Amino acid sequence: MTPVHFAFSSAFMLGLTGLAFHRTHLLSALLCLEGMMLSLFIALSLWTLQLDSTNFSGAPMLLLAFSACEASAGLALLVAAARTHGTDHLQNLNLLQC
Amino acid sequence: MTYVMSLFLLGLVLGLVAVSSNPSPYFAALGLVMVAGMGCGVLVSHGGPFLSLVLFLIYLGGMLVVFAYSAALAAEPFPEGWGSRQVGVYMILYGLGVGLVSNMFWEGWYEVSWVPADELDGFTMFRGDIGGVAMMYSLGGGMLVLSAWALLLTLFVVLELTRGLSRGSVRAV
Repeated sequence: MTPVHFAFSSAFMLGLTGLAFHRTHLLSALLCLEGMMLSLFIALSLWTLQLDSTNFSGAPMLLLAFSACEASAGLALLVAAARTHGTDHLQNLNLLQC
Repeated sequence: MTYVMSLFLLGLVLGLVAVSSNPSPYFAALGLVMVAGMGCGVLVSHGGPFLSLVLFLIYLGGMLVVFAYSAALAAEPFPEGWGSRQVGVYMILYGLGVGLVSNMFWEGWYEVSWVPADELDGFTMFRGDIGGVAMMYSLGGGMLVLSAWALLLTLFVVLELTRGLSRGSVRAV
């Protein structure tokens, strides 16, 4: 694996583990998700640039647009949780008490 | 140039280690800014200045600013930085993990070139990624309309989620 590929692959895996092993704040989980989308943007852009397939340059832009949609939906959920519970602590999201 | 590229890649991975060790969101946003900056450097070194500018403007200047002021919702009296014990343990674990996995790959890194060999390096104004993004307006027009529709839909999703006054998803306020 070339160093650049290893860098964004490990960046994606780090964001995924940060999302999986979240601690207290919903916002830090959302930021790990943003880190994953950032590594995916870099991966798609490097696909375009390293393979000289310049028609594919639209793909990272579209990924950014849909990632903006996802981030805004996540932040709206954060605002709703903070308004309901007072904070965004994940331990307060316990309505489903199995 | 190889050294600069290796610094950018190191900053990318270490910045995401700093984000995923889950400190208080103020510091995680700072780590994400560093990751985006280093990622822009990697893209510029590969000959894609337009995608790098898009990343800076839209991602850092648009999305991350929204995250930064939403960090006010995560306010706590003693925010945990990277020096606190729990966060530091996570950081060391993730750093060791990346180091151990890269151990499997790094012999080959002496043979490959870390930077692309690029003709007409600094002397062209028309790079490939600029022309490629312009395709979004011609042959990629369908995807453009679809993403605009998705953004409009997301606007209504957000407005519905934060409607307030005990209608929608919010009960108290």
